[in-house]
Amino acid sequence: MPHETDIYLIGLNHKTAGVEVRETFALAACNTMELGLVTDAGPVREALTLSTCNRVEMLAVVDRSEDAAERLMAFWAKHCEGDLERLRPHVYVHQGLDAVRHLFSVAASLDSLVVGEPQILGQLKEAYRDAVEHGSARVIVNRLLHKAFSVAKRVRTETGIASSAVSISYAAVELAKKIFGDMRDYTAMLIGAGEMAELAAAHLVNSGIREILVANRTFERAEELARRFKGRPIVFEELFRRLPEVDIIISSTGAPTAVIRARDVKPVLKQRKNRPMFFIDIAVPRDVDPDVNALDNVYLYDIDDLKEVVEENLAQRREEAVKAEAIIEAETGRFGEWLDSLALTPTIKDLLAKGEDVACRELEKTLKRLGPDTPEETRKALEFLVSSMVRKLYHEPITFLRRRAMEEGVSRKYIDLARRMFNLDEEAAPEDAHAERRSNVVPLGRTAAGGNGTGDNGEDAACGHTE
Amino acid sequence: MDWIDHLRPLVALLYLAVSALFIAGMLGRRAGLKRAASILAAAGFSLHTLGIIARVAAEGGAALSHMPFYLSLLSWALLLTFFIVRRAMHMEFLALTAAPLALILFLASLAFTAKVVLPTALVGPFFALHIGSLFASIALLTMAFGAGAWFINLEKRIKTKEKLSGFQQDMPSLSALDAANHWAVVLGFPLYTLGLLAGFVWGWFTWGRTLQWNFLTIAPVAIWLCYAYLFHQRLAAGWRGRKPAALAMFVFVLCLVMLGMNFLLPTHHSVTP
Repeated sequence: MPHETDIYLIGLNHKTAGVEVRETFALAACNTMELGLVTDAGPVREALTLSTCNRVEMLAVVDRSEDAAERLMAFWAKHCEGDLERLRPHVYVHQGLDAVRHLFSVAASLDSLVVGEPQILGQLKEAYRDAVEHGSARVIVNRLLHKAFSVAKRVRTETGIASSAVSISYAAVELAKKIFGDMRDYTAMLIGAGEMAELAAAHLVNSGIREILVANRTFERAEELARRFKGRPIVFEELFRRLPEVDIIISSTGAPTAVIRARDVKPVLKQRKNRPMFFIDIAVPRDVDPDVNALDNVYLYDIDDLKEVVEENLAQRREEAVKAEAIIEAETGRFGEWLDSLALTPTIKDLLAKGEDVACRELEKTLKRLGPDTPEETRKALEFLVSSMVRKLYHEPITFLRRRAMEEGVSRKYIDLARRMFNLDEEAAPEDAHAERRSNVVPLGRTAAGGNGTGDNGEDAACGHTE
Repeated sequence: MDWIDHLRPLVALLYLAVSALFIAGMLGRRAGLKRAASILAAAGFSLHTLGIIARVAAEGGAALSHMPFYLSLLSWALLLTFFIVRRAMHMEFLALTAAPLALILFLASLAFTAKVVLPTALVGPFFALHIGSLFASIALLTMAFGAGAWFINLEKRIKTKEKLSGFQQDMPSLSALDAANHWAVVLGFPLYTLGLLAGFVWGWFTWGRTLQWNFLTIAPVAIWLCYAYLFHQRLAAGWRGRKPAALAMFVFVLCLVMLGMNFLLPTHHSVTP
């Protein structure tokens, strides 16, 4: 008989470990098959590692034993050439359905630093792809990850968890859309350069802005940025001469006093025939005089205004997270049911029940067609015929499954195959996890910023990712 | 033409449902309700069109002698303009203004029975021009009113950094709202001017005089002056945003008051016998 296995998820994240620990114990490019962790003979039968700058996790299907988690942790420390005792206090261990629940939460971005950010799902898909390529993802990990992706999709569509901008630069671009609508007819200007300004510029380019002008005190830097955003560099002294051409101005210079004042903007407005202008001032101290906001058709948001927008949106996301947790709880329960069904006896029962169900329905139709005058004898003969056909038809598959069940390590594979082949779990085919590769028009630093505007929140700017 | 009489309450009911569904769909952000409203609006509008055609076909010129017929026509013109603006500028929310106003005008057309003096054949074209272009300009002003009201609201929120919540997030951008105002003024003012002039020509031929020195004749001229100022400021002085939005709303309200007084007080436009 095969060994009893269980799902384990061990890991550390931004809540349990500092950046030094996360760096030391990162599990990037970890081939658990090649390293000998996953073997056909067990005890570790399947594994997947996820390593992002805010999270390192190891998901494994292991023969049930007292020291399963310890074994995984030892492998982890050894692989990273780190001290096990240093790792241990930061690690959380989830087992069975707790592990399933945790994985679903991670996929749905409920466990992220910025709740609802989209990158983690892409990173999880990447990790799964690696595991499939290495051959360390089999029946349970396959099923669990596909389920995690569909749970994440459900959470995203059924709750408002990812519906509003939660990064300053993206909130600014969302506001620009409220003012200008379609961005294709508008031009932006970047004054000075900083991480947040660059991210805002990248978001603008992604939303289709016509052109970006870059002004910087160091012209070389302006040229470099302009190249990146396919924009036009201009010398800093030309700034005011160019203002009438631009609709959106993102300013982040290190100037000690305001660079742009209301009296500078007034004549510009006249030249522009009052076409609206949107100033995004992310410099501290501020670059744009607050009086500018009092002018007609001019809108000014500084860093505090944008932070407030982001705070409100974050609060809304936290509310939505409660709804998401309910979805995750229900899906975890369903996954548990599937796990239980992986034993041989329930599968045989389900198989026969399904066959009999089909037979009964067909029998009913036939009897209806024959009419009410069908003699009782014929009725009984037909009943006998269909039920014995079901048993005979399923005899060979059942015998095959029983034989495989005696073999070490393959039982679950065949049981799962049979369940899927006969659709015993009555569900649609899982979506293809390999189909969705994230791509972006403009590279946002080391990360691909998502469409819902995360990626540059103050806390996680150090790593350039939200996950 | 009994069946036309039976059609009218049905059209009124449809317009009532359209108004209610649009308002509920917009405020509640329910796409299904908005879709249902659109379908009912198309159905109501088709029946309304059918009714107008049947009436003119059956009664010929006599149909034009019923003053309430013009209320029905204005209601129809309003919806037609709304359909065009919605298609061209994706401004579904203008239904919030267009649908209830069309309903009120249509209901009013059912409530009154007065007759008007018909033009002689000679000035028929002027009469058609008077009605057609004035109704089109009033319909455009209604759109400008809706777009302007929302512009002022949205702009205030953006200026004061207030959060946009619920259905406010679905509304068009400030630029799109300003563009709606622009077109309403640029197209609406020449139409209004044309309508007014045609009315004077018709009046001259019908009654032998154009301007009577009473409020109800002076009012359209006063509105024309406001409209002309708006047109000038918008095109020549480069007005954009809040100011033209507010002025267009003001001109629309003046128009509404003028229409109400014209229809209800004993004038040659009156709907009361």
